[in-house]
Amino acid sequence: MQTVRDALIGLADDHATGALRLGRIGTLYLVDGRVTHAESAVSPAVEDLLTACGRISAHAVRQARQAATAQRPGGERLISQGVLTRGELELCALGALLDAAYFLLGATVHRPGFQPGARHWLGARWHLDVTELSRECERRRRQLDQVWPSTELDALPVVPVGRVPAQAVVLTPLQWEVVVGADAAATPADLAHRLGRPAYSVLLAVRQLAAAGLLRLPKGRLPAGSGVPPGGTTGPLPRRVAGTGAIREAVTGGLDGSKRSCRLPQATANPADVDLLVRLKKALEALA
Amino acid sequence: MLGIEDCLAEVMAIPGAVDAMVIDQTSGTAVAAGGGEGNLDVGRSAAGLSETLRATADGLASTSAGGTVRISDMIITTDDGHHLLKPLETVFDGPLVMYVRLDSKRSNIALARHRLQNLAGRLITT
Repeated sequence: MQTVRDALIGLADDHATGALRLGRIGTLYLVDGRVTHAESAVSPAVEDLLTACGRISAHAVRQARQAATAQRPGGERLISQGVLTRGELELCALGALLDAAYFLLGATVHRPGFQPGARHWLGARWHLDVTELSRECERRRRQLDQVWPSTELDALPVVPVGRVPAQAVVLTPLQWEVVVGADAAATPADLAHRLGRPAYSVLLAVRQLAAAGLLRLPKGRLPAGSGVPPGGTTGPLPRRVAGTGAIREAVTGGLDGSKRSCRLPQATANPADVDLLVRLKKALEALA
Repeated sequence: MLGIEDCLAEVMAIPGAVDAMVIDQTSGTAVAAGGGEGNLDVGRSAAGLSETLRATADGLASTSAGGTVRISDMIITTDDGHHLLKPLETVFDGPLVMYVRLDSKRSNIALARHRLQNLAGRLITT
């Protein structure tokens, strides 16, 4: 068991060229020990970004991919066809690389497979050092935590609040796209694929919206992960709602991780309640 | 048509240019950087500059009647020169920012603005 970052550092030291296959998580491509492409299951790939903006059809991408050779990679073909400028191709590929790397580098893999000599069809006129990439991923992680220091919303469906708790709000274009695209079922990663936007940017927008109080939070749920409540140590406590259900959920919310949405007070017994009572009883007996 | 590195080289060729950067505004990432004489913390500057632009847009949004703002460029003059920021819309990703810092004694803002405009059009087609 090693992290993808460690595997990459080893390959960088060897000046390796090829593809680091990480199973279902994704793939990293290296040329001479430097990373040129990264594909993650979470992030939309370069192809998805290009087709989502309507600049090129999925069919044309497939054609370019099939026609790509080591001498004339697919990227050169797309540029010569006038589909996009060299600058746009580089920016799009670099953006996708940084986005996917963010989700790949911290992951752990059992047996990463390295395929020497494999190259990405798009070509590689750009690259990043492993240390550069690692530093950038770390900066992005800090940026997320600065905005909203909790991972609780990262994998849940995005649900904007019905009414804005302010006189006016200012949204960035991406935040707007997230709000418009949110259907109470799509997670940030789903939205990234649907919108054709980098998954990290969507995640950042979601946390910014949460910090602005524009997203519905899972009620009574203690933030998972670091255990730091949203807004730091002085953050708000779970809101108290009339009815025993909310209180019980507030008590047990941190214990069970099930996706139970409980809006109405429930009268049925919950195993956690019984456990809690048994533990209380034992504690009282021990005192007596 | 320009690649990122060629574009950056041309930005640095603007008379009086000291530092230059291409920044992805949404994430605050420096996509490319040049000049700087080694004393520029690229990561921090990129994040700070994207924040500057965002804060300016937010501030302007609340003063404009329509509430929407489209900045075409921004010039800030400080004691260490002129800072030119030019946001660029891309179709596939978040907005980019071209940034150049100019020596106030050796530069001509009007010329620099014009050159930046021209380079933006060659880097990206909209």
